[in-house]
Amino acid sequence: MLLQLNNIFKWVQSGGQRIFLLKDINFEVEEGEFISVMGPSGSGKSTLLNVIGMLDDFNEGEYSFLDEPVHQLKEKHRANLYKQYIGFVFQAYHLIDELTVYENLEMPLLYKKISGSERKAMVADMLDRFNIVGKKDLFPTQLSGGQQQLVGVARALISKPKLILADEPTGNLNSKQGEEIMDLFKQLNEEGVTIIQVTHSEKNAEYGERIIHLLDGRKVGG
Amino acid sequence: MLKHNLKLFFRNIKKHKIAFLINSIGLSTALACVLLIFLWVTDELTVDKFHKKDSQLFQVITHYQDPDGTIETGDFTAGLLAETMIEEMPEIEHIVASRILDDGLTLSIGKNNFKAKIHYASPDYFKMFSFDLLQGDENQVLSDKNSVVLSEKMALNLFGSADNMIGKVVELEHDKKYQVSGVFAGTPSNSSVQFDIILPFEAYKEENDLVTNWEVNTVQTYLTLKEGTSIEQFNRKIADYAYNKTKEASPFSIALRKYSDIYLYSKYENGKQVGGRIAYVRLFSLIAIFILIIACINFMNLSTANASRRLREIGVKKAMGAKRNTLVFQFFGESVTMAFLSLIIALVLVWILLPQFNNITGKQLVVDFGVRSIAVMVGITILAGLMAGSYPALYLSGFKPVAVLKGKISNVVGELWIRKGLVVFQFALSVLLIVGVVVVYKQIEYTQTKNLGYNRDNILYVDVEGQIKENLETFLDETRNIPGVINAGSIADHIVGGNLNGWVIDEWEGKDITDRTSFQMRAVSTETIETLGIEMKSGRAFSNDFGTDDSKIIFNEAAIDYMTLKDPIGKTISIQGTKLEILGITKNFHFASLHEKVNPLFMVLQPSWTDKVMVKIEKGREQETISKLEGIFGSFNPGFPFEYHFLNQAYEAQYVSEQQVATLSKYFAGLAILISCLGLFGLATFTAERRRKEIGIRKVLGQNAVQVTVMLSSEFAKLVLIAVLIALPIAYLLANNWLSGFAYRIPLQVWYFIGAGLVALVVAMLTVGSQAIRAANRNPVNALREE
Repeated sequence: MLLQLNNIFKWVQSGGQRIFLLKDINFEVEEGEFISVMGPSGSGKSTLLNVIGMLDDFNEGEYSFLDEPVHQLKEKHRANLYKQYIGFVFQAYHLIDELTVYENLEMPLLYKKISGSERKAMVADMLDRFNIVGKKDLFPTQLSGGQQQLVGVARALISKPKLILADEPTGNLNSKQGEEIMDLFKQLNEEGVTIIQVTHSEKNAEYGERIIHLLDGRKVGG
Repeated sequence: MLKHNLKLFFRNIKKHKIAFLINSIGLSTALACVLLIFLWVTDELTVDKFHKKDSQLFQVITHYQDPDGTIETGDFTAGLLAETMIEEMPEIEHIVASRILDDGLTLSIGKNNFKAKIHYASPDYFKMFSFDLLQGDENQVLSDKNSVVLSEKMALNLFGSADNMIGKVVELEHDKKYQVSGVFAGTPSNSSVQFDIILPFEAYKEENDLVTNWEVNTVQTYLTLKEGTSIEQFNRKIADYAYNKTKEASPFSIALRKYSDIYLYSKYENGKQVGGRIAYVRLFSLIAIFILIIACINFMNLSTANASRRLREIGVKKAMGAKRNTLVFQFFGESVTMAFLSLIIALVLVWILLPQFNNITGKQLVVDFGVRSIAVMVGITILAGLMAGSYPALYLSGFKPVAVLKGKISNVVGELWIRKGLVVFQFALSVLLIVGVVVVYKQIEYTQTKNLGYNRDNILYVDVEGQIKENLETFLDETRNIPGVINAGSIADHIVGGNLNGWVIDEWEGKDITDRTSFQMRAVSTETIETLGIEMKSGRAFSNDFGTDDSKIIFNEAAIDYMTLKDPIGKTISIQGTKLEILGITKNFHFASLHEKVNPLFMVLQPSWTDKVMVKIEKGREQETISKLEGIFGSFNPGFPFEYHFLNQAYEAQYVSEQQVATLSKYFAGLAILISCLGLFGLATFTAERRRKEIGIRKVLGQNAVQVTVMLSSEFAKLVLIAVLIALPIAYLLANNWLSGFAYRIPLQVWYFIGAGLVALVVAMLTVGSQAIRAANRNPVNALREE
């Protein structure tokens, strides 16, 4: 089992009232799964993804990742955990504009004490695999949205994560570009990478083996 | 990682060129400014500190008790003090009596004539002061009263070489011969005394019998104390020493002050040390610090603004596993690198500006790259970099990645307050400096244009020396006959320079016999009063037509007021047993700088005492007149170099430090405003950028461009107004304080303050306005589509 959420609650205090962002969330993810999270705007999809990605805290409940109790871990330890095992793909790509494609891919490796030659090999490998060798010296603004997201996915994959968290990865793309990215996810999943994606699109959700529906912070199906 | 960070640094510079330019211009001019001030301050602080015995080296000063109870402090003592004290005080290691002559004397060998600045000193001089003796024995050089020690430069001038000088003979004033006993390296530029030759004090004593008189203070006395002597105890011991040697002088005491304090801490009020030049040293150090702070604030502001743009970078990096300290390191690294780039530009600026700066300050500063200076430069730079980078490095790096990526952090209230506070602070400083410049300038202008009671225009003067001394009247007559000369007369001590001597008037009608107030005395020839354009209030000036005017005296109004004489003309007073009849009263004229009140003064007709011939010449004929004067001078004094000075320049020399302050603060104020405006410009750009969406919405909802411009500008106008309101009272207090150092001063006028405020406001509005207009005229659709 890759991760397990038990009775997760998250809320914010507003005017003396608790507003629940996540309410009693329970679910398990096995390695190799492809899960889609769906729900209307404000239903807590992204919050859930951020909690899973350890970018955000929760107020109550238990979360274990690879049998480590995340809710009990110190910040530093937690950071090491997600650095090693989790890759993120964002809706707005979040590439760094001042860095070339090559450098954007290299960036996560810089924080992992990987030697220069090894980094080079890993980046080259990734460029090759995604067919973007010719674009390695371009800056993100010189690429189309689909290509940017391709780089975004490549960046998420470069440190060989077990889990990829994708927050509406096709939200900013046209349907053809979106389809390409989804096919890519499918292929990655077949190679053994666990994927959790948040999406609005029924069609994209179908790529997943399992669909979790959220409504007002509560899991309502899947 | 370093490569990665450097790449990001340079690409960010490329992307945000304006921000980079503002940062580097601001920071490098500020650093240049700080470096220049640092050079100046270091130089000021090291004046006279080079003497190896600095810690033991003292000057004897005299505190005079005035009849009204106040204490005046002077640095002259009786000439015999040195001789007797060394006999009676075991604490003293060495002591010298000395006298530096104000005017140069002619030194010659064969046909080579040079004006030399003369320093008389007792034999131990070179044991106390570290003026390197290149030739001669420090125990011997001044022991024979016919010996002379030359500076290396003077030796070169006279003999063409400075080798093997000992035993050679030079002539002083084409009269007395002295044998060279030594050569010294010369006086370094950071010595407060400058002279070309040293003669034995015995030689001075021989010609000035006042030196042996305990009643008059005409020489300066310096001593070194044996190590371990308590200065307080010693001061108590010597306080009445000199007074006890006198018969009836008004009470006074003597004390020691550290020799190296003379330069910076010369001012005494009521017997207490109250500062002096050190005030300017402190002022400029403060200005340097302020300018650096202003520039760092800009840097901080702009890098914060930029960092907000870079929040995404921070967020992504954090999500990818960057630790906080790597980001802190990155941001500090960037700001420090930036500061070092600025340092390089600053050094180039300093290199360009140094000659001009030296010109203004009258110094010979050089940028030395010694360990100390480099340490200071690097230190200041790193400090500036850390200061500037602190906000983004420490604050922004602490954000949670999710919050950052989702743009949840936009306007932190505290951050906004800090920015506004910084702008207010910058402009308050700028306003303060503007007021300062205006006030200093106005006061200087006042000193230039104030009616001094005499006319200093087109008057030049030459020394009474050589044969002119014996034939003064002939020389004066011949000078007056030069076609371009309006009039000429001679005077002892200067018409500028203030209280150069002191004479007690023993008797006048109704005098309180215990009153020992000293009057200034100026011995003059006939026509001197007319030449200088001094106006008579009553009576008449000295004239040869009556033949008896040498038993007459002329007072200034201040003296008559002090003595409270009614119908003074024709009355008799007595000085040192000589009775003199009051011939006339002049209106008050300023023979001292405007720092001081006009003191009581009298003039007597004693041409043989005079030492300067004042010549009033016609405007427009200066050149031919001066060359004719040179001819006459040469015919009297063959072999003497002809040197003349303009009275105007001598007058202005009294305000050298004020002039320097005026010029320097002009530049610094300009810089402060420039740097503040750069900051404001950056901030306005940033604000306009950040409020693009808001502006877009406002425009879509019907606000026109003018309204948007006004809205954006007024926000900054408010800040500048607050700054002005804070700065003006402080400026008023400071200006008043500075002006209180002048007995004659300008009144502070409201418009200085309002004007300074307006200047700051207008400049700020011009800076902000351009950005506001640009932001207001953008197509709102573009701004709204981006989201």
